Amino acid sequence: MSWLIAGTGAVASVGGSTDEVFAALRAGRSGLAPLRGFDPAKYRARSAYEIDDRPAPGTDVPGRATGWLLRAVAEALAGAGLPADLSDVPVIVGTGLRELRTAELGWQAGRPVDPADLHFGTALRERFAAGWTYTVANACAASVCALALGCDLLAADAADTVVVAGTDALTESMFGLLDRVQLDPPDQVRPFDADRRGTLLGDGAVAVVLRRADDGGPAAARVRAVSMNCDVAHPTAPDPRGIAAAIRLAHEQAGVTPADIDLVLLHGTGTTLNDAAEAAALTDVFGPAAGRPLLTAVKSMTGHTSGGSGLLGVVVAARALATGWVPPTVGLREPMPEAAAFRLVRDTAQEADLRLAQVDAFGFGGVNAVAVLERAGAPAGEGGAP
Amino acid sequence: MTAAGPVVLTGVGLALPGVADAAALPGATRAAVRAAAPVVPADRLGRRGLRYVDRASQLALCAGRDALADAGLLPARDAAAGAPDGPVDGAASAGVAVVVSTNLGNLDTVCQVAATIAERSTDRISPMSLPTASSNVTAAALATRFGLRGPNLTFTNGATSGLDAVFWAGSLVTAGRCRQALVVGVETSNPVVAGLRGRPVDELLDGAAAVVVEDAATADARGARRLAELGRYARRAGVAACVQRVLAGGPGAPGHWLAAGPAEPPGPAVPPADPGLTAAFGPASGALGVLQCAAAVGWFAAGATEPALVTAGSDADDAVAGLLLRPAGTGPR
Repeated sequence: MSWLIAGTGAVASVGGSTDEVFAALRAGRSGLAPLRGFDPAKYRARSAYEIDDRPAPGTDVPGRATGWLLRAVAEALAGAGLPADLSDVPVIVGTGLRELRTAELGWQAGRPVDPADLHFGTALRERFAAGWTYTVANACAASVCALALGCDLLAADAADTVVVAGTDALTESMFGLLDRVQLDPPDQVRPFDADRRGTLLGDGAVAVVLRRADDGGPAAARVRAVSMNCDVAHPTAPDPRGIAAAIRLAHEQAGVTPADIDLVLLHGTGTTLNDAAEAAALTDVFGPAAGRPLLTAVKSMTGHTSGGSGLLGVVVAARALATGWVPPTVGLREPMPEAAAFRLVRDTAQEADLRLAQVDAFGFGGVNAVAVLERAGAPAGEGGAP
Repeated sequence: MTAAGPVVLTGVGLALPGVADAAALPGATRAAVRAAAPVVPADRLGRRGLRYVDRASQLALCAGRDALADAGLLPARDAAAGAPDGPVDGAASAGVAVVVSTNLGNLDTVCQVAATIAERSTDRISPMSLPTASSNVTAAALATRFGLRGPNLTFTNGATSGLDAVFWAGSLVTAGRCRQALVVGVETSNPVVAGLRGRPVDELLDGAAAVVVEDAATADARGARRLAELGRYARRAGVAACVQRVLAGGPGAPGHWLAAGPAEPPGPAVPPADPGLTAAFGPASGALGVLQCAAAVGWFAAGATEPALVTAGSDADDAVAGLLLRPAGTGPR
């Protein structure tokens, strides 16, 4: 079985729609800028990949993650040709940090925070009359976990259409705790670089409309399978064995082999540990095929958009499959030795004939999710028969 | 791999003040809960491994461990209280998922860290807080402690979150993503949570409830007890719309309605609302739905033969979740 991506929406530091975001990424434009929402004097890191929509510099406001989510969902619905009425459509939102920034601001101002505003169902009800909604707080794998759950609802015949989304705004606690452990903070996110020094957070939201494949209509791509597992190794450090198991499971569920994969959207956070673990897992799973697929890490331009980052990878992969263009990993000067055999897309976008893409998403707590996408309308070839 | 049969509950675990097991839940009173001491996780789990674990996760470990033991999934040597926890059998661990529901569990850490940075700088915060800044810290702690390698999900879905977690656990089983799923609903009360909610600290739940769900055939094959069977579920805006969907198509009127608070029955087939759990434990937020399922097990253990309707959320919330639970005898129905 596979599910059509019938519409997409995206909001990030680099653009306010899927078209804008993909155009920026294809052009290699980064959203990196001096820290805007928090007092830079409190941190070692001085930069982030924020959406520049605050009322004034240094003045943070509640509810930003919710606002972008609504925009991304509206764009995805419009793209799918659906009305803005979700009273019978499930909406599954993956998030690392939900509206915790709203809680932080409330606590510091001595202002009560309505618990109803910490999850996204409240705003989705107001805007889209949605009642069948979920906020899944699965760290940096959240929105790809949400995609897995959306596919399961379609597979179980519980719904014909599902909206899957992700959204995250920087929280001071997470930005600060990362700052606390990254003593020599990065000047930018450099995934898979030998001299990478860590990650910097980014703002963003993303949404896709998933429909049953037999509904026809134009589609960017199809979702073939999404796997989920847990490392059970460490609260924050990834485990290459758990990641490899998640990739294998996704391939198995999609009915493909590593040699069928044309493109990998890396989780690629720019931290020493993540990129080493991801490279080890890819080397393990792909074996002799490790040099075959193109690889890229869009966090080099969007920063780490936390729980929403994986689904942003899905949207970028869908556009790459549809257009044949793969955005580069910018800022990559010297690939880390563990990635020597990989075909990392560097400096400028690369054009290729792409049929199958893999999207990686890994999070704190060892939660892993991996999606396999197929170009819509691609003929079923070897290893591709559903 | 898709399970065809019903999904059943095979284990219950509680970490609550004043209540030891599911059988005691239907009779829990505010007076007894208030008179009871708070749960002390170290007394139940031993101190080892708890030092940097936040209180919500500690409570979840207590309830989760007891649910796994109740379902017969922990090795016998670990089932005795106070013994160190061992992982679920190695071969089985890839097949066990974790689904946590919590809305407020990490708010104290998040708000205090942010406040410390605002007052001073990041030099003054402890790096040991890093996992707790992520809202899935509790699900990760459960997976790590018990070696549960299946899908690992955290729902922070407001008033309905606990019932949503039970539904999704059943969905993971039905989709073939796991053999069993451990569901834990947990909230903790502290000055940050109480301050943000504008309620006294001792009015809010500080506890956890856990259940294990699996396919009935899997449960029967390994000789596990069926405690209850999951029926229809819905999440919709409003009590009436939700209950109508849950009860559509049978299998007969519920004998009991476990509700989040006082409510008018939305139809003649629905018995009067029983908001006893909220009355006894205070607003339970993300823990409520799991607590309600545990109470339904207690209700069935006391001999109830009709289905129990469970709802979380009210007309004032963004939505209401409803789930029908049926008593499950041994063996196929």
